[in-house]
Amino acid sequence: MGLLEVTDLWVRYGSIEAVRGLSFSVEEGSIVCLIGANGAGKSSTLLAVSGLVRAGNGRIRFAGKDITGRRADLIVRDGLVQVPEGRAILAPLTVEENLDLGAWTIGDQRQAHEARNRVYALFPRLAERSRQAAGSLSGGEQQMLAIGRALMSGPRMLLLDEPSMGLAPVVVTSVFRVIEGIARSGTTILLVEQNARQALRISQRAIVLSHGRLLREGESKTLLADPVVVEAFLGKT
Amino acid sequence: MSRVGFRRLVPWAVACLILAADVFISVRNHADLDRLLINVILALSAFATLHARMLSLANAGFMAIGAYTSAILAVKLGLPVAISLPAAVLLCGLVAVVIGLPVLRLTDVYLAICTLGFGEVVRILIVLLPGLTGGPTGANLSTGFPYEAMRRTQTWMIAAFLALLVYLFWAMSRSKTGRAFRAIRDRPQAASTMGIDIVAYRNLAFLMSAMIAGAAGAFYAHSVGSLDNSDFRFTRAVDILSYAVVGGSGQWFGPILGAGLLTALPILLRDSLGASIGFLRSFAQLPNILTGLGLLLVIIFLPGGMAHALHLQRKGTRGRTAGSVESGKDALAAPGAATGTGPQDFLSVHELTRVFGGVEALRNVSLQFEKGRIYGLIGPNGAGKTTFINLVSGLVTPTSGGIMWQGKAIHGHRAHQIARAGIARTYQSIRLFDEMSALDNVIVGHHAHIHTSLLSTWLRLPREAREEGEARDQAARLLERLGLSELAGRPAGTLSYGDQRRVEIARALALHPLLLLLDEPAAGMNEVETSRLGRFLLELKDHGYTLVVVEHHMDLIMGVCERIAVLNFGRVIALGTPTEISGNDQVLEAYLGRD
Repeated sequence: MGLLEVTDLWVRYGSIEAVRGLSFSVEEGSIVCLIGANGAGKSSTLLAVSGLVRAGNGRIRFAGKDITGRRADLIVRDGLVQVPEGRAILAPLTVEENLDLGAWTIGDQRQAHEARNRVYALFPRLAERSRQAAGSLSGGEQQMLAIGRALMSGPRMLLLDEPSMGLAPVVVTSVFRVIEGIARSGTTILLVEQNARQALRISQRAIVLSHGRLLREGESKTLLADPVVVEAFLGKT
Repeated sequence: MSRVGFRRLVPWAVACLILAADVFISVRNHADLDRLLINVILALSAFATLHARMLSLANAGFMAIGAYTSAILAVKLGLPVAISLPAAVLLCGLVAVVIGLPVLRLTDVYLAICTLGFGEVVRILIVLLPGLTGGPTGANLSTGFPYEAMRRTQTWMIAAFLALLVYLFWAMSRSKTGRAFRAIRDRPQAASTMGIDIVAYRNLAFLMSAMIAGAAGAFYAHSVGSLDNSDFRFTRAVDILSYAVVGGSGQWFGPILGAGLLTALPILLRDSLGASIGFLRSFAQLPNILTGLGLLLVIIFLPGGMAHALHLQRKGTRGRTAGSVESGKDALAAPGAATGTGPQDFLSVHELTRVFGGVEALRNVSLQFEKGRIYGLIGPNGAGKTTFINLVSGLVTPTSGGIMWQGKAIHGHRAHQIARAGIARTYQSIRLFDEMSALDNVIVGHHAHIHTSLLSTWLRLPREAREEGEARDQAARLLERLGLSELAGRPAGTLSYGDQRRVEIARALALHPLLLLLDEPAAGMNEVETSRLGRFLLELKDHGYTLVVVEHHMDLIMGVCERIAVLNFGRVIALGTPTEISGNDQVLEAYLGRD
């Protein structure tokens, strides 16, 4: 059984059905990517899993426990943390203050301090700039901060919503490298990406969504060569 | 389904209950009916400013001016109400224009405090002029007024005036003006880059609000028959504001519901408690306490106000009507001819510098743009690309240096003027009007091309319907060109990221610009969608548009741009063709990376 099990998930906004009966599972320790066209329901799926939107129907199980309809802050305490689309760092606060917010669920000061040091070890740039306002960081550094903040609570699983969006090409490469590194250290990752080629390269399995439904599921290597996937998301070359 | 149906009924049932309660109290007591009608008029005066994103508390002051002016003219000069009332309204308008000039530069809480001060000044003036106003003891008008004889006519007049107001607001809400107000309330900056003159609309809103409050004051004077400066205290301003908040300031009918509820509730409670046991009756404030509780409940359960709940449902049922699109016509009509003489006169920036708090976001940037080409602007995050677009579109003024557009200097011009001069833009962080449909967003882009005045909207001149229809058709065609026809009726905020970007492009194209500044148009799009966008940008070029594209998708930049400028730390580090740029050492180092 996977670490995350989603069964027959539906997400509706008024009369609009964003996700229609989606089922998938994510094995512990792997990177699974979720790709699909705009409006296919990728972000809605992540938001439903992290409890930020209500699942209309279906079951979401995390680490063997039913988390459907559970409050978002409690899901974070369960060890499932989302890095939001567009980074959502708090620009006027310092880098360190942003990180400390990620340790909200940790009561113990010493533990929080250790968590911060772990994040600084992973992202030395953040340590250099710990006293700077987060808004003064470059786009890539802000993405590192958003990921670092999510790692503060020591989650078992990360949900990443388009971490490469709006980043310079040279930075995109390093963001994907960081994601691979996090996965190697044992954190499970569910990744939503528009940069489908890169996402398929670093992930083990992939889920392809179309109009809120499952279009394909399988090993990323296989899907990279799948004619339907190539046609719809990768284009020529 | 039945549960959904039931939920939908609740707000309508509440609205009907309020109306029923209002009819009930009105039938029994004419004084209550007058009060109800006047409160509804006051609520509309609050709405006039709120829906232009202004928190004004001047209504009580204007109500006082209207009340005393009309009363003095009628009693001391013996003029008929038909003259004294319009005169009072005009005076309020005049005062609004005069104090609006300095006051409307303020926003948010500063505006609230300043307008509150205005209300107090009016009240103090009333107290200080006893010869004219009766001073602190108040003015009793009944001596000069055949009170009983005037009563019925008064109620009828108030009702007629209210009906007129309702028509004016209803007609305005469906017009260019109403759309502009909604756009300003939602995102003032984006509205200004759509060619909407925010200052002018704020002045208009303040003027309407003042005149309506003045009329309400005049009716109040003639209905009550006596005036006291304490009728126009701070608490009156707060009451008026709460009508709009409870009812919902998003739609014009919201404040009507709010005033209906908050007027009827205390009256009904007063009357029903009057008959109850003496223990309760001894609490004179009980009706007020219960009204306050009701207010709290509404704010907790219907945060957008009652009208918001009703409006959301209507949007749900209206659904996805894209409107029938007349095919054959090309949505991308060629932009107007440039008035400059040579290609170098199209757009050029000279030594452009912008400093933000000691940081040079852009430093001595000089670039020239020719008509009909696609330019790329690339560089690391924070290199000054967005600052460049903000400078050219007039949202930010340069610290030094100049921007020449078709032979004229435009630095220092306001954003709406620049938009009307032919420069349109999209935003890196999407700034659509979220609650409006995708189609309405694009129609806002047509703002500068709809010439109907508010007066012809109110008079229902045929030109208005024709221009609105044309704008709607053009907007639908633009959405079709961007592959968004099916989503036209959806509120823009519910669309996916990439679709919102396309709506923004359609909205910018609706301005019929000569130059289009696109800030990361492909962010949130996958490779196939990005290459489709690239083809569309080339089509725009073929139609004669000039484009400046800020992007990180190198396939798009290298595929469509003829010339590329690379920024790093606010300076141009490279300039050239795609081939030159992709081989440039500095660019590889700073931006592209070496594999």
